[in-house]
Amino acid sequence: MRTLGVLLRKELNATFTSPIAYTVGGVFLLVIGYTFSLTLFFTKVANLTYIFHQMYVLLVLLVPVLTMRTFAEERKTDTLELLLTAPVREIAIVLAKFFATLTLVLALLAVSSVYAVILGHYGQPDWGPIYGGYLALVLLAFLLIAVGMFASALTENQVVAAALSLGAFLMLWFADSASYLLPAPLDLVFVNLSLIGHFTTFVSGSLFLSDAGYYLTVALLGLFLTTRVIADR
Amino acid sequence: MTLDVLPGEVLGLLGPNGSGKTTLLRMLTGYLTPTSGRLLVAGHDTVREAMEARRRIGYVPEAVPLYSNMRVREFLTFMARLRGVSAGRLRRALEDVSERVAVTDVMDARIGTLSRGYRQRVALAQALVHGPDVVVLDEPTNGLDPRQIIETRNLIRKLGGDCTFIISSHILGEMEKVAHRVAILLRGELLAICRMAETPDLEALFLSLT
Repeated sequence: MRTLGVLLRKELNATFTSPIAYTVGGVFLLVIGYTFSLTLFFTKVANLTYIFHQMYVLLVLLVPVLTMRTFAEERKTDTLELLLTAPVREIAIVLAKFFATLTLVLALLAVSSVYAVILGHYGQPDWGPIYGGYLALVLLAFLLIAVGMFASALTENQVVAAALSLGAFLMLWFADSASYLLPAPLDLVFVNLSLIGHFTTFVSGSLFLSDAGYYLTVALLGLFLTTRVIADR
Repeated sequence: MTLDVLPGEVLGLLGPNGSGKTTLLRMLTGYLTPTSGRLLVAGHDTVREAMEARRRIGYVPEAVPLYSNMRVREFLTFMARLRGVSAGRLRRALEDVSERVAVTDVMDARIGTLSRGYRQRVALAQALVHGPDVVVLDEPTNGLDPRQIIETRNLIRKLGGDCTFIISSHILGEMEKVAHRVAILLRGELLAICRMAETPDLEALFLSLT
């Protein structure tokens, strides 16, 4: 636990002093602010469903930029050898990077919650879908960061890592499209692999354990595979 | 190969490129897992008691990896805490090591702005900061200018005795100047171990063996 704290502090410093974090954060908040204002003025309806889908798309596109450097940079600069020869377990290195990136994404989501506050102040939104939407975004962040880190652990080239994770996210997003071509019960497998399918139920205000289980399972699988890749040398 | 290194000794690993020096050092430090055989560091198996063994080692890889964005103090603090130096002992450990390797004047500088010689010293400082029993240096004078090479050698001589040094090099003169004993490696095999005090002509011996 103590070494995890030491590693986490180092990763948080690296994350929050990086221009990448502020660029990604700026883009995220600018696009969300723009969309929120337009949607509100056009529809005059106090709900955030459209914004949540917008944030979903932005996270799919921006998380690869945040995770690409996690391991690829350490490999490129050989600092991974320093970490892996220190008395720390591989899982602590992986978790420290995971929680540091997650902290940044949670900070962005926290800032974006100002729009929910605005809706609450001037209107009477249905809070169920809003809570569900934020829970879905947090679970989505778990999955995206874990899979993105796995891609970063596979290479020392950051651009390759970003392309790999973006490709994986898009394939997961559209996984359910393949179900139309597949016979039962294989079609159900692809329907249940879909990133957006599990997201939509949350945003509509329905909470199913299976949807949360999907995000957590894939996230844990991503963290496990990342640890295996780092340990296998 | 079977090889014992004594406490306080400076052991040189000498061999041409590809002779297995770096692989041996990487197995010793826990970066690579041996497919057979075993290595003990201060009595601790590098695989079964990996954490205990690693706590007793300080390591500077050949590439001299450092976090360029960090300041020297921040980097040494991070490495010291990672290697188990308690918060109470940290300040004293940083003062000691920065004096020993002469980096006190750059403690607040960013590592990325330092010269190659200073970077090498900072790397050495992170390997010593937790007071290890064994210090492993892979090609410690690679890429240094003549003055920096002499300074690094003097530093190793000065620090030798406090802990065991295992140093790899493919330069004969390097070994003659710093090592108490030299192990000659070729294609992963240990060809000979010679005590420097009893080996007047290391060059002739190396040529006869390789």
